[in-house]
Amino acid sequence: MPARDRILSRLRSAQAPFGDLQPPDERRAMLPLPEMDADERLAHFTSEAEQLGCAIYHADANEAIEQIMDLLNGDRRVLSWADDHLPLDGLQDMLAQLGVTVAEPNDGDVRVGITGVAAALAATGSLVLESGAGRPRSASLLPDRHIALMTADQLHTDLENWQAAQKADGYPAFRRTSNTVIVTGPSKTADIGHELVKGAHGPRELHILILRS
Amino acid sequence: MTIDIQSNDFIALADIALAKPDLQHAIGSGTREAYAKRLATMFAHSDEHGEHMRQMAAEAKRRALRNLPDLLETAEVNLRANGWQVEWAEDADQANQLVLDIAARHGVRTVTKAKSMLTEELGLNHVMEAAGLRVVETDLGEYIIQLNNETPSHIVGPALHMTKAEIRDVFIRELNMEPTDEAEEMVAFARKMLRRDFLNADMGISGGNFLIAETGSIGLVMNEGNGRMCTSLPRVHIALVGIEKIVETVEDYASLTQVLPSSSTGQKLTVYTNILNGPGRAEEGDGPEHSIVILVDNGRSEIYGTDYAEALACIRCGACQNACPVYRSTGGHAYGWVYGGPIGAVLTPLFVGLENAQPLPHASSLCGSCKQVCPVDIDLPRMLLDLRWELVRDGHSKIGWDAAMKMWAVGMTSPKRFALGGKAARAGQHIMGDYLPGILGNWTKHRDFPDFAPKSFRQLWKERSNART
Repeated sequence: MPARDRILSRLRSAQAPFGDLQPPDERRAMLPLPEMDADERLAHFTSEAEQLGCAIYHADANEAIEQIMDLLNGDRRVLSWADDHLPLDGLQDMLAQLGVTVAEPNDGDVRVGITGVAAALAATGSLVLESGAGRPRSASLLPDRHIALMTADQLHTDLENWQAAQKADGYPAFRRTSNTVIVTGPSKTADIGHELVKGAHGPRELHILILRS
Repeated sequence: MTIDIQSNDFIALADIALAKPDLQHAIGSGTREAYAKRLATMFAHSDEHGEHMRQMAAEAKRRALRNLPDLLETAEVNLRANGWQVEWAEDADQANQLVLDIAARHGVRTVTKAKSMLTEELGLNHVMEAAGLRVVETDLGEYIIQLNNETPSHIVGPALHMTKAEIRDVFIRELNMEPTDEAEEMVAFARKMLRRDFLNADMGISGGNFLIAETGSIGLVMNEGNGRMCTSLPRVHIALVGIEKIVETVEDYASLTQVLPSSSTGQKLTVYTNILNGPGRAEEGDGPEHSIVILVDNGRSEIYGTDYAEALACIRCGACQNACPVYRSTGGHAYGWVYGGPIGAVLTPLFVGLENAQPLPHASSLCGSCKQVCPVDIDLPRMLLDLRWELVRDGHSKIGWDAAMKMWAVGMTSPKRFALGGKAARAGQHIMGDYLPGILGNWTKHRDFPDFAPKSFRQLWKERSNART
């Protein structure tokens, strides 16, 4: 008998533990928040993300390009998502004109990564990133500095709220996408003498550009 | 079993730990800080809400375990639909052999590893190294203890027992680091060293914090990003997941993946809440070509039908370690196997046999803190008592008595610890009321347990002295 069947048969022959438990009728969010309008939600997101050490900018398209060039700080190579996954039309062309090239996803020496987001969570100041064609995971992982572009209408209240929206769509972030990552602040560690240090293996800086529509 | 079991030497190992001031300081400050952060986050909204979420998480895990065999089959179907290959292993030998076979099939030479307590149980690193593979632990704490030839002393902070100076010395000795006392520079150094390995590894190995049956996904939590590297960059990714890690729905996962870091480090979410759904899809620039899940039993199905089944609900947050007055004094290595602290004192005898871990059920003052802080409300004191009863039944009471006296002595060695024990007892009673867990429950069923004094003699004496001066 294969290992699988032996394990399952051992479990089935045992008395199943605990009583018969039903899923709760009503689920509370882990972080209860008052009803918020769009502005309040954005303010809450900003406050949470800033507490984690993220930098938040509000920009129109032109200001966003300027901001990105500032953050490139003279570097001429980036890891980046493709234009159709960014809320900023023509970024790649613009970068090319300015002499910036997009590196291969496995280039570990590039210092800046540019991504969009699939959603953002106000309660925790988090970004939800889904991988896929034109959306390499490494752009939010390998560089020191991660620039995430989003719009305010991508904001959900919290993880439960995003999960409910996912459920309504048949959980694409859990099925069609090979990797979904919820990013909550810059990479960090406290493994050395319990001191908090940013930039353990992932980006040490997280810059969030919120584009005005 | 491929790793040494030294749990019967608990008393001697605890003595060694108690004689090291640096270790005492490191463990004391690490655990106390995490304990305080947990309190601040879990109960940020209100005590009632924090407790409600704890009970919701507890039920979600128990509901999943009750239907474990069915949910494992559901998970298998959905994992395959997501492109995972699914393997099953009954014990350490089978799991390790599967890993070696996969490595051989894909011509693997270098393996990067994210933190996984299960692979510690399996002794996987030794097996891979013996087979000629180069294995690099990439969680910073794991990297440090791998360099120093140690095992993790804490579920979440593997190098929690080490001071900054000790870690500096390891980096200098093993890797010729330029001497520095700055944690930031040491982290930057390790980042640089590991970056090459991340990019060159042929295979990545991770554990899994949650296995979501509904969608065939694996949930991983991490702060450094090393786990993302191990699961995204190499051609092959293996996730070794204990069969008890199952959760039924994404809704359950959404609660649990928040309760875990809140209880562990006091973070609302870890920096990376990573959801893995199989290999990189067509046209995707990165992500593994081959994603394999190994569902590992290794003793879990033997625990399943027993009175200790709720130990399988553990989500490995380390909160009980941070709360435990014994763990805070001895650290994790004294427990002599993979898991230290209250959950280790229960899991170790269940996994390696009570005869091989006789002192552990007594490595507790039964103050109740561990149950109180557990995000899934595991009744650790009750199980410790039940294990003690088994020890007596099986004629192993002598070693237990020695361990109990040792713990009493630990409590008495410093006025600070003595005071802590008293405080813990009073705090525990505040939560548990007049109910005593486990076999003592029979005693309190018809009697009220006497109150611990709300103020200790020490407190009253201090107040009296203060009032006089």
